[in-house]
Amino acid sequence: MTLFEFFQYVIIALYLMGMTFFIAGTLKNNQVMGKLGNLCAIGGFALHSLDLLLAVTLYKSTVLTGGFFYFSLLGWSFILVYFALWWKVRNTFFALTASPLALLLFIASLAAQSLKVTLPAHLAGLFIGLHIGTIFVSIALMAMAAGAGVAFIYLNNKIKTKANLTSLGKEMPSLNTFDRVNHWAIMIGFPLYTLGLAAGFLWARGTFTKMFSWDPKEIVTLLVWFLFAFLFHQRTVVGWRGRKPAILVIIVFVITMISLWGINFFIPTHHSFKV
Amino acid sequence: MDQNIYLIGLNHKSAGVDVRERYALTNIEEFEKGLLDMGIREVMALSTCNRVEIIVVCSEEFTENEILSYWADKCGGSKVDLEPNTYCHKNLKAVNHLFRVASSLDSMIVGEPQILGQLKDSYRKAVEAGAARVIINRMLHKSFFVAKRVRSETSIASNAVSISYAAVELAKKIFGELKGQKALLIGAGEMAELAATHLLNSGVETIRIANRTFSRAEELAKTMNGKAIPFEALYDCLSDTDIIISSTGAPHAVIKAKDMKKVIKQRKFRPMFFIDIAVPRDIDPDVNGLDNVYLYDIDDLKDVVEENMAQREDEAVKANSIVESETLSFGNWINSLDLQPTIVDLFDRSEGVARKELAKTLKRLGKIDIETQEAIETMALSIGKKLLHEPVSFLKRRTEEEGAAEKFVDLARRMFNLDNDTIPPDAHCRRKKQKD
Repeated sequence: MTLFEFFQYVIIALYLMGMTFFIAGTLKNNQVMGKLGNLCAIGGFALHSLDLLLAVTLYKSTVLTGGFFYFSLLGWSFILVYFALWWKVRNTFFALTASPLALLLFIASLAAQSLKVTLPAHLAGLFIGLHIGTIFVSIALMAMAAGAGVAFIYLNNKIKTKANLTSLGKEMPSLNTFDRVNHWAIMIGFPLYTLGLAAGFLWARGTFTKMFSWDPKEIVTLLVWFLFAFLFHQRTVVGWRGRKPAILVIIVFVITMISLWGINFFIPTHHSFKV
Repeated sequence: MDQNIYLIGLNHKSAGVDVRERYALTNIEEFEKGLLDMGIREVMALSTCNRVEIIVVCSEEFTENEILSYWADKCGGSKVDLEPNTYCHKNLKAVNHLFRVASSLDSMIVGEPQILGQLKDSYRKAVEAGAARVIINRMLHKSFFVAKRVRSETSIASNAVSISYAAVELAKKIFGELKGQKALLIGAGEMAELAATHLLNSGVETIRIANRTFSRAEELAKTMNGKAIPFEALYDCLSDTDIIISSTGAPHAVIKAKDMKKVIKQRKFRPMFFIDIAVPRDIDPDVNGLDNVYLYDIDDLKDVVEENMAQREDEAVKANSIVESETLSFGNWINSLDLQPTIVDLFDRSEGVARKELAKTLKRLGKIDIETQEAIETMALSIGKKLLHEPVSFLKRRTEEEGAAEKFVDLARRMFNLDNDTIPPDAHCRRKKQKD
C-alpha cells in the first residue's frame, strides 16, 4: 500500500466514523456524538482538501482528465456546504445528507481511478473554475435543500397527523429551520447552477463550435434548470414555503442524481467518463 | 454501626392536604435544633406543599416514635393523629426513598424537577445549622448525583405533561424559537389564558386578545401586557398572527377553512399554529388540511399529554433501577465506615498502585535476573505499606475519640478515593462561613 493510498483510507475512515456518529447522535439525541461527528468530518475534510491539492500539484498534467477527480471534488463540495449550513443553523442534522453522499462519492472516486474525460487543455482552467466549481457547489446545495425537504415532509406529516413527536427527539430542528435551509440553499444554489451552465455552454461553444448539441446530459441539465428556475421563482415571487418547495427540490435533486450516475455511465455523452 | 438512619414523612399519597398543611414545618432551623438537643446526631427536614420529610441519623436507642411525638408536638397536633398519615423508612430503605424523591420518582407529576431545588435548599439550611454531618452530607450529595444520573440517562423529564406546555412544545417544533412570534387569544377562558402565559414566557413577542365582551379583553390585555382588539376585526388580524389560541363559548366555528385560504396567501404562506381549546370547537377542522397551517384541538393535546405521561412511567422503570444500584453502593459506603474495611481498602489501593508502577519499571528495565526482580518488588510494596503506617495509626487514635470515627474514616476514604466516587460539582451547597 502506498502512502497516498493509506492517506485515502484514513479519509474514508474519518468520513465513515463521522457519518456513524451523526446517525447515532440523531437517533439518540446525543449532542456529544454530534460534536464527535463534526470533529471526524473536519478531520476528513482537511485531509480530503490536502488530497485534492496533492493530486492537482503532483499530477497537474493528467489530473483534470481523470474522472476520479470530479467525484472526489463533488464529495468535498458536500462537506463544504454542510459546514456552511452548520455555521448558519448550528445543527448537525444536515450532516445526515452530506456525510453519506460525501463518503459515497469519495469511495466512487477511488473506484473510478481509471476513468478518463476528454478535456481540451487550453480551456481547463476556465472549465474547472466556473463550470465544475459552480455546478458542484450548487448540486451540494441542492442535496442539502432536498435533505431538508425530506425532513420537512416527515415532520410536517407527523405534526399534521398528530403523531407522537417524542420519537423525533428534542434535537431535531423545527419545521421553520428546515424551510429556511431549503430556502437558503435554493437562493444560492440556483444562481450558481445558472452560472455553471452558462460557463459550460460557453466552453462548448469554444470547443465544439456550438453551444447546444442535443447531448442527453445537456437536455436533462436544461430540464433541471427549468424546474430549478420555476422553484426559484415560486420561492421569491409567489412566496412558496414548506411542503411544495420541499417536494419540488427533491424531484430536482433526484433528476440531477439520475443524470450524474445514469447518463454519465450508461449513455453516450460529452460528459461520460470513458475507460 | 451503632446508629440508624430514619426517614419519616408524609406526602400527597399518604395524607390529605389538610393534614399536610397542619404538619408543615414553618421554622425548620428551630425544628432541627430541637432534635439535635434531644441527642439526635444528624437531622435534615424538608417541607414543601406536597411533602414533609425528616431524615435523622441517631443512636440505636432512639425510635421513630420519639421523632413522631416531637414533630406532632411542634405542630400543635398529636402523635395519634399524625402517625396514620405518615411513613417511616429505616437505613437503606430511607436512603432509597430519598434518592427516589430527589429523582422526582415520588412526585405527584413524575419527572418534574422542582423537588430537587427544594431538597438542595433544605440541605443548605441543615448544613448552615450544623445539623448535617458525615452521613447526611454523603446521602444528600449522593442523592443529587443520582438525580443527575436519572435525568441524563433517562428521558423522564423530557416531554410536556400539561396541556399548555404541550402547546408550547408543539409551537417550538413548528417555529423553532418563539422569540418574535405574534399570538392571538380568541375568547378569554382560563386554560387559554394559561397557554398564552406559557407562550409569553417562552419568548412570544406580542399577544392580542379578541373577546365578544371588549372590556374583558381589555382587562386581560392589561394583565398580559397585550393589546385588546374588537372581535369583528378578527380576520384582519389573522394575517399578521403566527399562533392562535381559541376558547370562545360560540356554538359554531369562529374560523372557517375557506376564509383561511385568503389569509394564508396574504401572509405569504408563513406557518400558522391554531390551538383550539373550546368545546364545541371554534376552528373548522379542515383548516389542518391547508398547507403551512397546523391545528390542534383539546383532544389532540390531551392525547399528546397522555402519551408523554405513559412514556414517563416507562422511563421511571429505568430510573428505579439506577436508584436501586446507587442505594446498594451507598450501603457499601455505610459498611465501610467501620475502620477495618477502610484499612483493608487502603492497603489494597497501595498495593495496586505499587504493582502497576512495578510492571512499568520492569518493562523499562528489560531482561533482569529473578533475584533483582524480587528485590525491586519487595521494595515497591514495602514503600507503600510504610507510607500508610502513620495515616493508619492516626485513624486508629482518632476513631477511639467519641463521635470522630465517621468523620475521619470518611475523610480518609475521600482523600484516597477508595469509593471511586464522583460527586457532581453542582451538588455542593454553600457552607456558612464561621465568623471566628
